[in-house]
Amino acid sequence: MPLWTLRGLRRGVVTTRYPARPDASAQLLPTPPAFRPEVLTPRLADRLAAVCPSRALARDGDMLVFDVGACTACGRCRAEAPEATAASGEFELAATARAYLVKRIPLGGRPA
Amino acid sequence: MTAVQPGLASGPGLRELLAGFGQDGAGGGPVITLSVPAADLEDAVRRIAAYPGARLADVFASGGSPAGDGGPVTLRLVWGLDADRRYLITESLVEGDSYPSLSAIAPAAFAEECEIYEQFGIRPAGGRPLNRVALPPGAGPDWPRLGRAPAEPPRDVHAPHHVGGHAFEFPFGPVRQVAVESLYYGLVTSGEELVDLYLFTWHKHRGVEWRLRGMTPGEALFYVERTEGLGAVGNSWAFAAAVEAALGLEPPPQAMTARAIALELERLYNHAAATAALCQSTGLVIGQAAAEIALERLLRVNAAVFGHRYLFGVVDIGGTRADLDAAALRSDLPGAYGELERAAEALMSTNSFLDRLEATGILTEEAARRLGLVGPVARATGVAADTRADHPAWPYGEFPLAVAVADTGDVLARFRVMLVEAAESVRLIGEIGRAAAGPGLALPPGAGPGQPASSGLGWAESSRGEALAWVALDGSGRITRARLRPAAVRNWRGFDDACRSQNVFTDIPIIEASFWLTVAGTAR
Repeated sequence: MPLWTLRGLRRGVVTTRYPARPDASAQLLPTPPAFRPEVLTPRLADRLAAVCPSRALARDGDMLVFDVGACTACGRCRAEAPEATAASGEFELAATARAYLVKRIPLGGRPA
Repeated sequence: MTAVQPGLASGPGLRELLAGFGQDGAGGGPVITLSVPAADLEDAVRRIAAYPGARLADVFASGGSPAGDGGPVTLRLVWGLDADRRYLITESLVEGDSYPSLSAIAPAAFAEECEIYEQFGIRPAGGRPLNRVALPPGAGPDWPRLGRAPAEPPRDVHAPHHVGGHAFEFPFGPVRQVAVESLYYGLVTSGEELVDLYLFTWHKHRGVEWRLRGMTPGEALFYVERTEGLGAVGNSWAFAAAVEAALGLEPPPQAMTARAIALELERLYNHAAATAALCQSTGLVIGQAAAEIALERLLRVNAAVFGHRYLFGVVDIGGTRADLDAAALRSDLPGAYGELERAAEALMSTNSFLDRLEATGILTEEAARRLGLVGPVARATGVAADTRADHPAWPYGEFPLAVAVADTGDVLARFRVMLVEAAESVRLIGEIGRAAAGPGLALPPGAGPGQPASSGLGWAESSRGEALAWVALDGSGRITRARLRPAAVRNWRGFDDACRSQNVFTDIPIIEASFWLTVAGTAR
């Protein structure tokens, strides 16, 4: 056991100061998408909903309903419509109520 | 611990074996397919099982009618003829409700006989009780199946167990601890020593093979990759190779190089994770922390090199999707592997750790061969089987592989095999990485020179061992049947044997860590 104690002392602290300071490795994590409302159209919203494997996306009239709690950050929506999506970079997704994780995004794009 | 350089020569008796089935020669491809009438299947299995080096790698069915009108089912047996660097598939059309018992000759087939009964309603002759393996109790005739429902539900897996004397049954699971997969243990014990053990894995069954029907291979790949998250590269490579064999696609060398590097990175992080789990199960928390530092750094290498910590999105049909950052690989991998190397060195000189591993969870070579085990679990018993050496896809054939084997079959042997394999993976990445010179690693699906074919078999040596996939496509290129056989499917059947070998209760987590299997892989 002294071997491990000495080894630990020699190795030093490896944990980061997160959340007091940002963790640089966070940029390597896949994160849920961010949508550009001005590009989204009803047809595009339907396409995005169709490719989402966890049913985190759905269209409700002229709104795209995005359930962040159901999103697995798989990246399929980004591959389907890169012009309308980007990585949000957001991974701190805790909320005090489930409903806060459901976003309604207006479809502000002009239909082609 | 020895290193074996597998021979390259073909087995001399292969032509003779095939001649017995009326086939002239083995052809030039790595997969031989034989049509065997169901009535002759028993004799065929005897002859192939007696062929030197033959091992039953998988058994599965296709066809049948979900409507329950008794449509014929095709039974396929996949054999690894490792000395000949070939796979042999026998296809038998089963018209009625039963077929000759395969497990009576090849015990490794029993789990698949149970699965085929659940999914297709046909059973081996002889009336031997079959266990429940995938579908939960209460799964009625309307439950999604690949074929028609069986006439009677299979018995629960614990039915044949008799608990008597001073022994009692200790239920454990399926919810066990934080971030550990659902798995139900039925532990039969007299208080400390384990008398018997059975597992329920159906809590995690997701019907992946059923869901893949009707998809294009590209759509299916997304789900294949997520079938077993810790084996994304191995399983998706096997699946992509099966589709490529069916379509006659040949991925470009750069893409195969990227796949091989991703596969070795997957092996590295899995072996680091197994090391951390071994430390946790033996109560060595400082060793666990050291191994987890290595694990985290290796996951960050994956993210830096391929864009995903668990290497999702690397393999594509016909090539690779993710480009490889060779500079990140060169700069980050040595440091990350150095963490693992240093932790392993310290562990190998910690007697309190080694004492818990030695003579724990022993599997014999005979058991490994009888049950058709694969990967480090089999190699730790002395079975020098590794598809990278026995059935090499490019670029593995270009870089001689020293297959790590041990002979004691205990937890310590499995740990040592993993450590040697990790070092070998780093060496391979270095050598293969130097050979990758060309830009552009992906071949767009459909751009290959091949022509459509009906079915194909694919394989890869995942960190847990041989991963297999078999795919049948219809004329429009959609999947009619996809068989996924991750290594975990084979190796769980050796777990209870290892646990029963004079072990006590507290040995079980150690044995489980040394197998480093996933429930997701078997309960797909």
